[in-house]
This record gives sequence, structure tokens and C-alpha cells, in this order.
Amino acid sequence: MIDSRVFLFGYGNHGKPIARGLSEDGFYVVIVESDEKNSQQAKEDGFEETYLVDVTNDEHLIKLNITPKDQLVCVMDDEHLNVFLTLSLRSLFETCTLLSISDSIHTTQKLKMAGADKVIDLYEVSANRIHSILKRPVTTKLLEGFVGDRREISFKEFVISEDSLLRGVMSDEYRFEQHGVLLVGMIDQELGNNFIFATAGVNHKLDAGDMIVCLGSEENLNAFENFITQTKKRG
Amino acid sequence: MNQWVLKIALILFRSNRYKAAKSFVRGILNDTSNPYKKYVDLSIIFLIMTSIAILVYQVKHPVPAWADCYDIYVVSAIFLVEYLLRVWVHSDITPLVIEEYRQSEFLGKTFHAAKPLKHAAKQKMEYMLSPSAIIDLLAIFPAYRPLRILRIFVLFRVFKLLRYAKNISQFTHVLSSKRFELLTLLFLLCFVVVTAGVALYVIEEQVNPDIESLFDAVYWALVTISTVGYGDISPVTDAGRSISMVIIISGIAMISFATSVIVSAFSEKLVELKEDRIVEKINKNKQFVIICGYGQMTKMFFAQNDDRLQNYIILEKNPLKVHEAQKDGFDVIQEDASRYKTLSRFNVMHSKITLLCLTRNDIENIYITLNAKSVSPKIDVIARASSREMVKKFERAGADHILLPTEVADTMIRTAISHPRMYKAVHAILAGKGIARIDEIRVLEQDMICQKRVDEIDFKSFRLLFIGIYRGKDHPFMFIPSKDEIFQQEDVLLVMGQEASIEYFKDLYQRGGR
Repeated sequence: MIDSRVFLFGYGNHGKPIARGLSEDGFYVVIVESDEKNSQQAKEDGFEETYLVDVTNDEHLIKLNITPKDQLVCVMDDEHLNVFLTLSLRSLFETCTLLSISDSIHTTQKLKMAGADKVIDLYEVSANRIHSILKRPVTTKLLEGFVGDRREISFKEFVISEDSLLRGVMSDEYRFEQHGVLLVGMIDQELGNNFIFATAGVNHKLDAGDMIVCLGSEENLNAFENFITQTKKRG
Repeated sequence: MNQWVLKIALILFRSNRYKAAKSFVRGILNDTSNPYKKYVDLSIIFLIMTSIAILVYQVKHPVPAWADCYDIYVVSAIFLVEYLLRVWVHSDITPLVIEEYRQSEFLGKTFHAAKPLKHAAKQKMEYMLSPSAIIDLLAIFPAYRPLRILRIFVLFRVFKLLRYAKNISQFTHVLSSKRFELLTLLFLLCFVVVTAGVALYVIEEQVNPDIESLFDAVYWALVTISTVGYGDISPVTDAGRSISMVIIISGIAMISFATSVIVSAFSEKLVELKEDRIVEKINKNKQFVIICGYGQMTKMFFAQNDDRLQNYIILEKNPLKVHEAQKDGFDVIQEDASRYKTLSRFNVMHSKITLLCLTRNDIENIYITLNAKSVSPKIDVIARASSREMVKKFERAGADHILLPTEVADTMIRTAISHPRMYKAVHAILAGKGIARIDEIRVLEQDMICQKRVDEIDFKSFRLLFIGIYRGKDHPFMFIPSKDEIFQQEDVLLVMGQEASIEYFKDLYQRGGR
């Protein structure tokens, strides 16, 4: 499912948890650092492919052997360096997906101008989080960090395989509740790659290659996943 | 006699009804945050106004009998009741008696009711001698019309209005802060007026036909020094005119001095008065948000707000930042949120308050959280923490929600990479911006849905996805509850769906419905 590598520039405050999370999700993470201490730390934490390079030097960046499929994530601790790095990476590797983190309002704009595909503004996401706490306290608490480690209920996506039990099932009729999960929505390849919410009122036949997103407790979600794979083995 | 007092005290002490009644009366008379006080105030003001109107009218016209009756019996009676209630709620007698009884029990003495009663009487007396109480007492007397002099009592009804004019009390409060300067000035004024008056009396009493007594001379001196100068009495000798010149000049000096003292007192207090206004305004709301700190997070919080948050107040202790917030057009006061006094100014009893601790500093945020919880556990606290290690501490301090900006952002990046499509969809749900959203429906007692079984409600026909029930902090969240679970009062239902579906559902099932 995952064939691309993630190049993580920076292994500091943000880099560390992100690297851990991504490798948990099954990504191959390459760490690039300009700080010796941080790169040492990365190696100790088990990231074998860690490069200690001068990120301001284009030649060094080219040597990293980045392919167009790779995703680049800039999370350097130094804001200025982060903007500079985003700019250099964009000019060197035009087709790669490039994500950056921003620690202040002023930097967000600059990162966008530098060419980042997506900028996560620390303050913006937090401010949004506060709003959702104020408006929907229960939901927010329940789903806090919906892919983090400490949630009660979370979302998970499943891809319907060729021989899955769910293949050919009508989405509105199947009782997902019996597995302790709820169907939130699906991405159907026939209807373009758009996300269709279960509440949109479309009764849809699940085909191989469709992706469904379910809500449930971790335990139930895993059981549900097993349920699907088990059928696959038998078939 | 002792036993009787004790018996009555015990009965009252044990009676919850008595306590409730007393605290209710106390609330409507004295507690500005009490929602009913407004109506009591308004009716008292109405009584005062009508009674003054009758007085003014009767100067030239005969008054109809019913108006007389109303003025003498109704208004006076209500004022009498009000006065008695005020005396009643000012202090409690029963706890004093009970305490004395316990002590004498403990020490093995015989119980005497005299001591606590004396103490209580002293407390009541203290109240009765306060200016506002005296005004209230005198305002009870009706204007007995045949005796013209008694009309003066109606004036006390006018004074009674002062209780409701907040500006006056603020004015006196401001002036009292300059007590020393003003007293000095007053003393100086008396000195000059009396000296000049005596001097004029001695010099001109024989020659000036207008001056017949020392009172005339002192009256002249005051009229002159204040630069009013009626001219009904004026000096006729050169010596007398010289005195006039001197006191006119000193009068100008004194007036400008007095003006400057009062102006400076006000300019010093102006900020405080303004902040009081802001706090007062916010306290009238049933629900509001207190934001501690005006930093990047707070600015972003406001920037991200589509339907501008109405009821909020910002507390910031750095004067520069306060100034910045004012310039940006926010309601801000310069206060330290970690002080007990600051937070207790807010209407914690009657409003639902949410406190946002958004400063950069963990130590400060924890301190503010603890402070808020000690002022009232009812305050909802949303605190910002810098790292995961801090969360335990914030939880211990009682924070209801803990926000980890770095973690939120990190998770966001992680999801954006590992589940890019789901990320968008889920995000839309959470932000409530997309076509589907998760909403919370609170079940109220009178709602149709209350006491219904889960399978009695067909969520699917509303195109809603029923996620679960939240039944307060002490219960675990019920995800996909069983069919025969009953919806209870104060439950929060989590449903997902389009906004229109949710609204339609609420229309049908809330407040009786159908």
C-alpha cells in the first residue's frame, strides 16, 4: 500500500513525534538533519537512514537521491531555515509533495510563497481545536487526535479487496453495527475519487478497490479488519 | 427566656426553608448578579418616582384622595417592608446563638442568650447607622401634608434613588481617594472665609447697612471667594474692598486647585472604571468566555472565528499587549488571571464560564487553572500545555480540556501523509465546514426524545448517523448503545449528518415536538 518514502527534514520538537508516528503507520522514513546532536538522536531512536547534511547547500540536497514519488516534510526547529529549505526543495524537486510546519502567523504566508503544497500552521490548527472544544466539547474530547494514540474512538480506512466479504454488499443495507463499528463514508472509484458520506443518502454497492472509512473503538476496528482478511484467506 | 431563644434559634438553624428564603431575599436586595434584582430595583424606583411626582404636583394643585392614600399607605408600607428586610438580611443572629450555646456546652457553663443577642444587636445597629440605612428609614415617613415641614421627608425618597445610581457611588469613591487633598483644601477655605468674614464684620458692621451680623459677613465672604458674587452685600470702605481683592485672588487659586485635584483623581481611576464596565457588561451574560493572555494563539483564535464570538473578555497583565488588544478592538482588561480576586469578580454563580489559558508558559497556565477551579469548580477550563508530560499536571489541577498545540500539528502532518483522503473528510466533519458534520444534541427534560428507547427513534430516516450517548464525566461514552437504552435528561447525543438534517431532527424532537 505504501510505496513512497518520506523525507523528514528536521528531527527536533516536531520531527521526533512525527517520525515515530509515520513509521508506526508503516512508512519508510528518511531523516535529514543539519544538527549533529539531533541526527545522533535519530540514529539512537532507530532511524537507520539518517543523513547529517548542510541543508542550505543544494548539492548536498541533490545527493539525497530524492525521487518524484517521495514526500518531503520540513519541520526544522529554526523557522528561517525551514522557509529557506522549503524554497530550495521546491526549486530542486518540483513534483514532490511538500509539507511544512509553521510556528507563527508570519511564517505561514512565507512558506506558502516558498512553494509548500500544504502548510500546517500550529496556531491555526490549535485555534480551530479550541473552537471545536467550545462548540462540541464531547465530540472533541472523544476524537481528540483522531489518529493519535490516546483516543477512545477513532477513524480507520479499509480498502475492499477482490475477495472481501464486503465486496458486492450494498452500503446502506449491511449492518456494520454488529462489528461495533459505524460506516462514516467511502471513496468510490466509479464516482471519481470523492469522499461520499454515509449520510448523503446514497445506497452504494461496494466494489473491489473502494475505500470505506469506519468509526469505532480501536479493538473493534482491528477485529473488523481481521474479519475482512480472514475471509480473504478462506476464499 | 434563655431556653426560648435557644429553641427558636435551633428551629431556624435547622430549617432549610428559612435559609433558602433568607438567601433569596438577600439575593434580590443585595446581589447585583442576581437576575431578579433588576425587577425589584425597577419597582422601587417606580414607587419613588411616583411619590416625588405627587409631591411636585401638589405644590400648586389639590391632590386627589387616592393619590394621597397611595403615597401614605402603599409606598410607605412597601418601604417599611424593604427596610425591615434589609435589616434582617444584613447579619445572621441564629449562628451566633448556636455558637454561644456550643461553647457553653463545651465549657460546662450555663447558657445565657444575652451575650450573642447583644452582639447581634450591635451588628444590626451598625447597619442601621449607615447613611443608606438612615435614608431608607427616613424615606418611610410619608409626607404629612398639613405639616409643611414634614414634606422634607419626601426628599429622602429622592436620596433613596442614590442607591441605584452607580455613577454617584463611583464618583464618591473616586473623590474619597483624594480625601487628604480635598480635606486640606476645605480646611483652607474655611480658614479664609471665616477670617475674611470676621475682618469685614469688624471693619464695616457700623458703616455698612447690609451687614447686620457675623453670619452676613461670612456669607458675603463665601459668595465672594467662590467668584459667584451675588452683589446683595458689598463692601463700602477701602479696607473692606482690599479684603475682597485678596479673597477673590485666593478664591481663584483654590478653585483651580480643587478642579485639578478632582480631574487628576478621575484620570487616575478612569482605566479602572472602564474595566469595571467591561466586567459588568460581561457578567450580565448567561454564558461567556474568559481568555487569559493576548498572544499569537489568542489572535489566531479570533482570526479563525467565522461567526464572531460575542461574549468574551481578555485578561492580560502586560500593559503593552493590553494596548495592542485595545487597538485591535477587543474587550480587554489589564488583570492578572492568576489572582483569586481577579477571577472572583466574574459572575461565577449565575453564568456558565469557560476559561481559556492560552499563555505560553505552562507554570502560569497551571496556576491559572488551579485558581479558576478554586474560585468555582463550575468554571470550565481549557488549558494549553507545551508537552505531553505536562498533561498529568493539568489534569490534576482540574483542567477540563488540555490542548497540546505541537501535538495537534504533528498529528495533522502525520495524517496528511498517511491518510490524505480520509484526512480531508474527517477534517471536514470535525470542523463542521463540510457537507457532513458531527453535532451534539443535548436532551432536555421537556424534549420529546427524553425517556424514549433508542430503537424508537429512527435516525436513519433523518439521514443521520447515530454515534453514541455521552452521560457526563462519570460514565464512559456509549458508542453504538444497545437498542433498549433509554435517553435521559442531560444526555448528549452525538450524531453525524448534514446540517439541514440535524436541524430538522432538532425541530421535531426537541421541546415537545410534533
